[in-house]
Amino acid sequence: MMPKNKESGNTKETQSPEKQILISTNLAENLKEISNQFGNSTDIVIRKFTIICTRVQVAAVYIDGLVDKIKVDDFVSHAMSFNTHTEGQQEVTSGKDAFEYIKEKALSIGEETMIKDWKELCGGLLSGQTLILIEGLGEAISGSTSGGEVRTVSEATTQVSIRGSKESFTESIDTNISLIRRRIKSPNLWVETMKIGVVTQTNVSIMYINGIASEKALQKLKTQLKEIHVDAILESGYIEQLIEENKFSPFPTVFNTERPDSVAANLLEGRIAIIVDGTPFVLIAPATFIMFFQAVEDYYQRFDISSLIRLLRFLCLVISLFGPAIFISALNFHQEMIPTPLLINLASQREGVPFPAFVEAIIMEVTFEIIREAGIRLPSQIGQTVSIIGGLVLGQAAVQAGIVSPAMVIVVSITGISSFATPAFNMALSIRYLRFAIVFIAAFMGLYGISIVAFILIAHMCSLRSLGVPYMSPLGPFIPDSQKDAVYRSPLQSMRTRPRLVSQKNNVRMDSDEGKRGDKQ
Amino acid sequence: MRVKWILRSVIYFVMLSLLTSCWNSRELGELGIVSGFGIDKGPNKDEYRVTFQVVNPSATATSTGASKNHPPVTIYSSTDTTVFGALRKTSKKAARQLFFAHTQLVVIGESLARSGINDIFDVFERSHELRLNSLVLVSRDADAASILKVILPIESLPAMGIVKKNKNTAGVWGENRDVNIFELINGITGESDFVISGVRINGDEQEGMKLSNLDQTEVKALVVMSGLGVFKDGKLVDWMDGPKARGTVWVQDKIKETSINIDYKNKKKSVSVDINLSKTKVKVKIREGIPVFDIHIKEKGIVNETKSFVDLSKGDEILKLEVSLAEQTKKEVTQAVETAQRMQTDIFNFANELKRTNPKAWKSVEKDWPALFAKGKLNVHIDAYIRSTGMRLKPYLKENSK
Repeated sequence: MMPKNKESGNTKETQSPEKQILISTNLAENLKEISNQFGNSTDIVIRKFTIICTRVQVAAVYIDGLVDKIKVDDFVSHAMSFNTHTEGQQEVTSGKDAFEYIKEKALSIGEETMIKDWKELCGGLLSGQTLILIEGLGEAISGSTSGGEVRTVSEATTQVSIRGSKESFTESIDTNISLIRRRIKSPNLWVETMKIGVVTQTNVSIMYINGIASEKALQKLKTQLKEIHVDAILESGYIEQLIEENKFSPFPTVFNTERPDSVAANLLEGRIAIIVDGTPFVLIAPATFIMFFQAVEDYYQRFDISSLIRLLRFLCLVISLFGPAIFISALNFHQEMIPTPLLINLASQREGVPFPAFVEAIIMEVTFEIIREAGIRLPSQIGQTVSIIGGLVLGQAAVQAGIVSPAMVIVVSITGISSFATPAFNMALSIRYLRFAIVFIAAFMGLYGISIVAFILIAHMCSLRSLGVPYMSPLGPFIPDSQKDAVYRSPLQSMRTRPRLVSQKNNVRMDSDEGKRGDKQ
Repeated sequence: MRVKWILRSVIYFVMLSLLTSCWNSRELGELGIVSGFGIDKGPNKDEYRVTFQVVNPSATATSTGASKNHPPVTIYSSTDTTVFGALRKTSKKAARQLFFAHTQLVVIGESLARSGINDIFDVFERSHELRLNSLVLVSRDADAASILKVILPIESLPAMGIVKKNKNTAGVWGENRDVNIFELINGITGESDFVISGVRINGDEQEGMKLSNLDQTEVKALVVMSGLGVFKDGKLVDWMDGPKARGTVWVQDKIKETSINIDYKNKKKSVSVDINLSKTKVKVKIREGIPVFDIHIKEKGIVNETKSFVDLSKGDEILKLEVSLAEQTKKEVTQAVETAQRMQTDIFNFANELKRTNPKAWKSVEKDWPALFAKGKLNVHIDAYIRSTGMRLKPYLKENSK
């Protein structure tokens, strides 16, 4: 990303000349100007025609692909349908008359607006509007005809759940907002939209429940979003990285999801959703560490099972962070900790392995990472082949060739599998590279090094904030009330309050008095 | 600001490196894992001959494609005036640095045991690698080295096999004790004497060293647990075997499970009772200058076998068996104590018990305790219960069948 000050310089340059220019009254000139502005792009469609009864030149302009062709036809024919034979209708003879007539007719539908400004005109075209320009008039009629090809709502691919909604977000911001609105039918669900990205002019909406979301966090987020000056926002990841408070932290402080039900649940906890046009991944802030280990399904299944599964995920976190490190430090530093039969077993496996345990671990880990990285970008059919070659052929052959010991393969595999058990992929990524650092230190300092790293990591995580909320809450600042939905999940009946620190204002989720509850919200 | 930050982190890391711990990194392949070691008398006076049983990882059964042509262990021995000196001297013979944290077994040679073992255990407490929970055994009719040399069937590691044997027999038969170094040092420093389980080789020692020893169903040499070595002032004085050994363990309250054959009517030792719960309480008092040992044993057992007809469906018969069981136990316990009294060795912790409960009285008898111990009066009280008769009541034998 380019430095900020340079961006803002660019912004001024490109924005200022456009500002006050109005549309001219000469149609040919206007059309030429449009072509110039868009550099004669071939997807700009200009359809010129003459209104027969008046001989007035009219043109319809739109960008192919951004519009729904049927809507364009509807709009144009509706606006132009001069039915001169109808009784009581005024005879249209001049351009002015025609314009008045079209305006009246078009605006009666309600979707159309009048545009006088060039900047508005370009913006309208780019967001899929169709413009009707009339000879002799310095105004354009714009009709909302946006459409074109968008992906339909389909099943979530990255955050799959057995039980629960199968819908996931699409690339269209309107669809995404509607998906959330359908889940929370409250007038207090507020959306604010802004355009970010000097060139891309991407629609970014923030969504929150008024009265539950914390004002402070909201203000903070809004200022942060306003401070963003970049030329492009192509994915919500851009926003995520630009609003993160600690850019060099390995841990993500903004949560992302492609599940509308997850967003709805988080909104109800007082969090704020950031929806970016063009990506199915919706950001949620403020995020806490625990959030990355909670899956929506935890709330759909019974609490006891969910709690156990959640504990399992934390176990997996520990394994995937420290697994190989503990193995190496036990093997190289603390042989006395390993039970005798196991030690002899390991020793016999390592007979003939030419590398030190650390190098062996690094070889296996890097191989595993290569297989994983190669597998992700491949089509699924070939991806399977990669995993077969990687897992079966490489793993087994490496052991039989005596390059790595079977125990190391086991440790690296369980570590890899454990890292997949983290529901949030961005957290899993962080853990993935932290693991290498920990392995490295374990090879030099043993368990002592591991405890140092663990200490540093915990201290660092406790220092993180996400929109002013402590990252480790409710564990960091220990909040007894919020424990019921942190490491374990209590029954829904007992989760009467929303998590503290995220929503300070309206904390009561469930009230014995139903009426009271309605008032509060 | 940035410089300050970097400087700060550099200082922290330098400080971290000063905080040393187990920093010494050693690859598994550089270590010779010592599974057991033996201490014998050296050829010269004040010298020890220390024998190490070092694991040969590539030949252990657990390994993938283990080569069966090599013995699972290799033996090295060195002589020096200190145990640790001998440990380090072995580096001349061993390719790998010996690693003692997994030493399971320490065998003391009989000849060394007879001349006193009180001074050899300091290294076990002082060294960070040696463990205090290794089992201690005394070799019987052999030196410690030859015990360690014998390869055992089933168990791939001989030292571990011996440890398991001792644990097994101490657990279900009760003639041996599971004495580790920690307990032994307590015994040496305490007021009483102590016992250590004995171990011997049955068969041809030379054959036992060879891998071919395992190529037969009945091996030519087998290491077996054998009795209890009685130590007086750190010197082995005698061995206790059979019922005497079990009686000793019984008084020490270390019986976990044992099997005892009791008399029924006129048939001697015809009913086998499996004692699965036994609790011994000892009280030592001084009455008129002579110690009185009150031993109270509560034992519970199951009838596991009868050779004659016993109508176990009748409560009276069970009561009779219980009386017989108590008698038998009492006999063994009395035998054990009397034998110890004859040797004037208090191996039952009586002295420690007296010192603990009545320090004043102990002061008065401390000087000539061995003699007083030998004169001590024994009161044995046994509560024997039979809790179950196994899977059936009456045996299949008819009442009058012969």
